[in-house]
Amino acid sequence: MKKNGVKMIKINSKNVDVFYGKKQALFNINLDIEENQVTALIGPSGCGKSTFLRCLNRMNDVIDICRVKGQIIINDFDINDKSCDVVRLREKIGMVFQKPNPFPKTIYENISYGPTIHGMAQSKNEMDEIVETSLKKAALWEEVKDRLHEPGTGLSGGQQQRLCIARAISVKPEVILMDEPCSALDPIATAQIEELIDELKKDHTIIIVTHSMAQAARVSQNTGFFHLGELIEHGSTDKIFKNPENKKTQDYITGRFG
Amino acid sequence: MNLILFIFIVLLGFTSYYFGRRKAYTIQSTNKRLTALPQFYGYYLAIWCAIPAFIIFSLWAIFEPTIVKLLILSDYSNQGYLDDELNLIYEKTKALSRGQFTGEITPFIEASAEKYLSLRSIAQSSKAVIVLSIIIASGAYAYKKISSNSRTREPVEKFLKVVLFTASLAAILTTVGIVFSLIFQTIDFFKVIPLFDFVFGTHWYPAKAFVRDSSEALDPTMYSDTFGAVPIFAGTFFIAFIAMCVAIPIGLMSGIYLAEYASVKVRQYAKPLIEILAGIPTVVYGFFAALTVGPFLKEIGNSMGLDVSAESALAAGGVMGIMIIPFISSLSDDVITSVPQSLRDGSYAMGATKSETIKKVIFPAALPGIVGSILLGVSRAIGETMIVVMASGLAANLTLNPLESTSTITAQIVVILIGDQAFGDPKTQAAFALGMSLFLVTLCLNIVALRVVKKYREKYE
Repeated sequence: MKKNGVKMIKINSKNVDVFYGKKQALFNINLDIEENQVTALIGPSGCGKSTFLRCLNRMNDVIDICRVKGQIIINDFDINDKSCDVVRLREKIGMVFQKPNPFPKTIYENISYGPTIHGMAQSKNEMDEIVETSLKKAALWEEVKDRLHEPGTGLSGGQQQRLCIARAISVKPEVILMDEPCSALDPIATAQIEELIDELKKDHTIIIVTHSMAQAARVSQNTGFFHLGELIEHGSTDKIFKNPENKKTQDYITGRFG
Repeated sequence: MNLILFIFIVLLGFTSYYFGRRKAYTIQSTNKRLTALPQFYGYYLAIWCAIPAFIIFSLWAIFEPTIVKLLILSDYSNQGYLDDELNLIYEKTKALSRGQFTGEITPFIEASAEKYLSLRSIAQSSKAVIVLSIIIASGAYAYKKISSNSRTREPVEKFLKVVLFTASLAAILTTVGIVFSLIFQTIDFFKVIPLFDFVFGTHWYPAKAFVRDSSEALDPTMYSDTFGAVPIFAGTFFIAFIAMCVAIPIGLMSGIYLAEYASVKVRQYAKPLIEILAGIPTVVYGFFAALTVGPFLKEIGNSMGLDVSAESALAAGGVMGIMIIPFISSLSDDVITSVPQSLRDGSYAMGATKSETIKKVIFPAALPGIVGSILLGVSRAIGETMIVVMASGLAANLTLNPLESTSTITAQIVVILIGDQAFGDPKTQAAFALGMSLFLVTLCLNIVALRVVKKYREKYE
């Protein structure tokens, strides 16, 4: 969203270092994420792009040996600060994972899970509405509206992933993190998800980690290139793909390594 | 003699392995390509040398006594002896031939004993000759096979398969055998005691049956109101219920703690420590319940003005529950750990806390496995013997007061079968009937448990 021609910054990370035990995984990452845009993080396997993504909703807390240093500022607030409430943070920042991971519950319960935890619906009607809107936004409503009370694990891979997206947007997050959301899907399901991402950016800021450069080029407005734990280059997707400044970026984009 | 022959066969097997392998190396040295690795040649030769001889040896050992007996007793046929008398004659003959016979020696028996000794020595020497010639024949056949470099790998692999199959067959046949031994005695029991009286009778007093003089004729009416199994079934389920009341919450919570909350280090020490509980012999639990917990509960009860039996169902059930804790905690820890991490991540990413995630995602996902572990725990509780025998008394009271003593199926089986008992007597057969019912109950529980666990597996694998 542009205000007076200046792009709004949603997430601002400063000097982020991440350690797994003694091994350092990210080195001094400074990356700004623009609001209501799709930012793609690319780079070879093990370069730290997923680690960075998981910093943004503090999912690295789950890993015992992981330590995060530096500032990540969202809405003028440093999420690495001790006073940060992780539950509220994750309500604001949703996440979609590499492998579709619907809960072994019904489709309805999968969507109502988040709103229930955060006490967002006062009545059954309100909840029904949230479920319907979320599924519609995730372009899944038409396919599942007649079987909302069947298990979510019975859907196809692509449907499961859209269910997970619907689950993520059910709590109306400001940011959605996507960790290679299409890597387990076939090309048709991938195309559907990409289309969906384009839709979602109207209401949400999206950060997507992807292995596919073609996908990054198709869906994103901004791109960051990670290599060996460092952010080598970032900027508009157009520029990164057509006119990269760094030799490494160019080599990676053109498929010379990675 | 038998032992020497057996050791000889075993040693021969081992040496022929090395012999066969060396043969393979010799073949190799003539620049011929071997059909299998040299050790297969060794195995092949060893199997052929030892196994046929061993089979004959075992069959001989099984059938020799029967055949000798038949030959001995053939002298006495047509003389109008009863089977029991013939058996007695045979036993006398054997004792005499061993020089252990102390009674009156009749010429008949003496002649039989001599015949017995000669038959045995013929049998021994012919056994040795036959076994040795079989070794030579089968060994020569195998040696010829490996010398001509024919295939050895497939037969050896097939042989291994047969060995493994036999092992599992032995386990299955034993189970079937046990069931049959239960069935026949149980049927005999129900010929005397009506099934209805057993299943619905409320008075269990087998001691009444002990009073009967064995010379008296069997009179079914005197057993009425003696073998009513309701009190002991009730006692069994009641004590199992008390045990599960202790074991399920503690086991489940410690399982959840170990799987979800404990750090790697705590888990590393806590899990084996909890599993030590499973290694304590049940008899130790038994006297812990009888000598420590029972009197302790009695004292507490008395100080509160309650009348507590020193052998209370509560003491036995409580200690049994402690015994079952490690089963439930360890199994539920396993199923909870095997819930995919992606589900936890999905829940945390929605902003759920740890306890919400456990309550709403992990527990439901692991529930079938947890139910399975609980059912296995229940079947252990029902089958547990030592603790109840020692701590809960032997009188079959029909009561639902945990402070009174009560008895269980297993404890009653022990009571009935301890000491002298006559076969074919209803009081002995009652033990079989009880065993059969116990077997059926635990069988059903295990089947349900396995089904539930299997259903759980289908979900994630």
